[in-house]
Amino acid sequence: MADRLLLLASLLFCFAVPTRADEPCQSPYLPKVTGQEDFVYVFTLGVEGMGDGSDKLVTVGANPSRPDYGKVVSSVSVGGRHEVHHGGFTDDRRELWMGGLDDSLIFVFDVATDPAQPKLVKTITTFTKDSGGVVGPHTFYAIPGRMLISGLSNAKDNGGKTALVEYSNQGRFVRTIWMPEAAPYGYDVRVSANLNRMLTSSFAGRANYMRKLPDLMGDAEAMKHFGNTMIVWDYHARKPLQTFTVPGAPLEIRWALAPQHYFAFSSSALTSKLWGVFRKDDGTFEAVEVATIGDPSKVPLPVDISLSADDHFLFVDSFMDGTVRVFDVSQPRTPTVVLEQKIGSQVNMVSQSWDGRRVYFTSSLLANWDKTGAEDEQFLKAFNWDGKTLTPVFSIDFKAAKLGRPHQMNFGSIDFYRGRVAARPSPASPQDVPQAAEGG
Amino acid sequence: MESRRRRRGFLGLVSAGLLAASLGAHAETPLFTPPAPGTYELPPIQHVADYELLDSHGARVRLLGLAPGQVALVSFVYQHCTDGSACPAALATWKRVDEALAARPTLARHVRLVTVSFDPANDTPERMAELGRHLRPRSDWRFLTARSEAELQPVLADYGQDVLRLVGSGGERLGLIQHLTKAFLVDAHGDVRGIYGSSFLSPQILLNDVQTVLAEESAARRQTAASR
Repeated sequence: MADRLLLLASLLFCFAVPTRADEPCQSPYLPKVTGQEDFVYVFTLGVEGMGDGSDKLVTVGANPSRPDYGKVVSSVSVGGRHEVHHGGFTDDRRELWMGGLDDSLIFVFDVATDPAQPKLVKTITTFTKDSGGVVGPHTFYAIPGRMLISGLSNAKDNGGKTALVEYSNQGRFVRTIWMPEAAPYGYDVRVSANLNRMLTSSFAGRANYMRKLPDLMGDAEAMKHFGNTMIVWDYHARKPLQTFTVPGAPLEIRWALAPQHYFAFSSSALTSKLWGVFRKDDGTFEAVEVATIGDPSKVPLPVDISLSADDHFLFVDSFMDGTVRVFDVSQPRTPTVVLEQKIGSQVNMVSQSWDGRRVYFTSSLLANWDKTGAEDEQFLKAFNWDGKTLTPVFSIDFKAAKLGRPHQMNFGSIDFYRGRVAARPSPASPQDVPQAAEGG
Repeated sequence: MESRRRRRGFLGLVSAGLLAASLGAHAETPLFTPPAPGTYELPPIQHVADYELLDSHGARVRLLGLAPGQVALVSFVYQHCTDGSACPAALATWKRVDEALAARPTLARHVRLVTVSFDPANDTPERMAELGRHLRPRSDWRFLTARSEAELQPVLADYGQDVLRLVGSGGERLGLIQHLTKAFLVDAHGDVRGIYGSSFLSPQILLNDVQTVLAEESAARRQTAASR
């Protein structure tokens, strides 16, 4: 009930958006579900011979007070397999976009009309043509009235040269911003509006990410074609300012959220390092290796990371050992591991609630990179987190449910779209009052 | 009575926002320097129609009504807003842009400020006029509303301004509206060239963007003339 009130508090007090976002890693430009989430929307890759074999958006009940808690509520197939991967809400949180890394299709779902039953309302089929040859729409990052999309590759050679692409919320192409020649790879894109700075990271082109992982790792030449840079941009001008060498494919980026925390984290997949990108007194930035993730000689392959809203804990998943390591990052230049726990035979994505009390994990990385045989577990697992211990609360076997390979997660809330308020609550504490809205 | 109390509180928040902005301008070191006008691009994001609404005298006027070579800065607000960082902050920023334009009459001839209420049931033309009197515009600044929510709906949909009217458990309206704080830079063709949330409601960024679009339009007109 208290959590529900927090959500209502945000509705009543802000009528704009709170900014201290990591719910768990959403754009600061969209309103947050600050209380108990009702649903987890799971982007799921289709598997041939499993159910209808199509990629789909799976909605899972996540509210313990609802009868659908821990169950699959609905599933919307998009038809065919597209290597669906990541996506994101529009800035009004009414639509959820989902990108396919293989054929660059973008699927747009209405999650506002009935949050329990998302509807596929649009498919953008012209991403590569619109953008002038960008392939593999990866991060979908809401900015006011638009979707900022980072590409992974290009249609000319399926290599790592790529770009940032913008669409309006209505699905109209706006522009393409190619990565600089000296640092052409792309992966994630995240904005600090307060600093007018944007950070990008770098991965690999379609020729690599659509290849079977054992083949790829045995090909020394192909393994040279991974990104090893991060770039700081002037966000408003969309112009690169600084390029840092970050070896081994720096992937997800998380800006710190607390006031006067002017830094971000990323993890490098191939070198198994945690990096911090820190703003210096003169306004420029520096990239610093701040920790090692597991034993790099065993290639644990760090993948998704999730920073708590108070900038205290950073959850770091590593795919090969199926393990999450929770770092205390309250001293961001000297993080320390406070928990190491195996989640499954493989684990990729991690998402935590706004209040940090609930953490969700999914298993799939890429269709051709997932493990095989008995090690190819495919799950969504939900845990409670008390700052010390992860306690399992429910899990769904996506293979047994004939759904596919679960990947990225986003949270849904019924009250957010209903506008129905029982009573005007008082905020539980000053920090429960949403801060000034971000925008830009 | 409640409505009057809320509006008084709202105008107080606007004034507080103006005061905070004037103090903050001297108290804090900015975290970044906005890019200079003309050093970046603002491609069209979406197209909007030019809707007929009510001005603060109750007359029918175009929301934009721009002549060639003009741009409009449009913000949507409502006077029952209780969040100082939302509608009051937007109005405080518009006031600072208004003052900056008043000091630059050559630039001001090309800029129209427009404040549109998305709460026409409460924000009547008379109340928009009262808001205007409170803010004392020194440049071309219009305060618009609509005859009804139905008349306003296509405007909000076209701009992408989300509005959710909150209701109580019995379905009664609470007079409060959940919304994102958004503002728009629109050129004379009806193309939206900038969309801003709260943290980018910086007068300097807005003025730089205005000049960037005007310079581009001016260059395009010169090029067209030269090619004839």
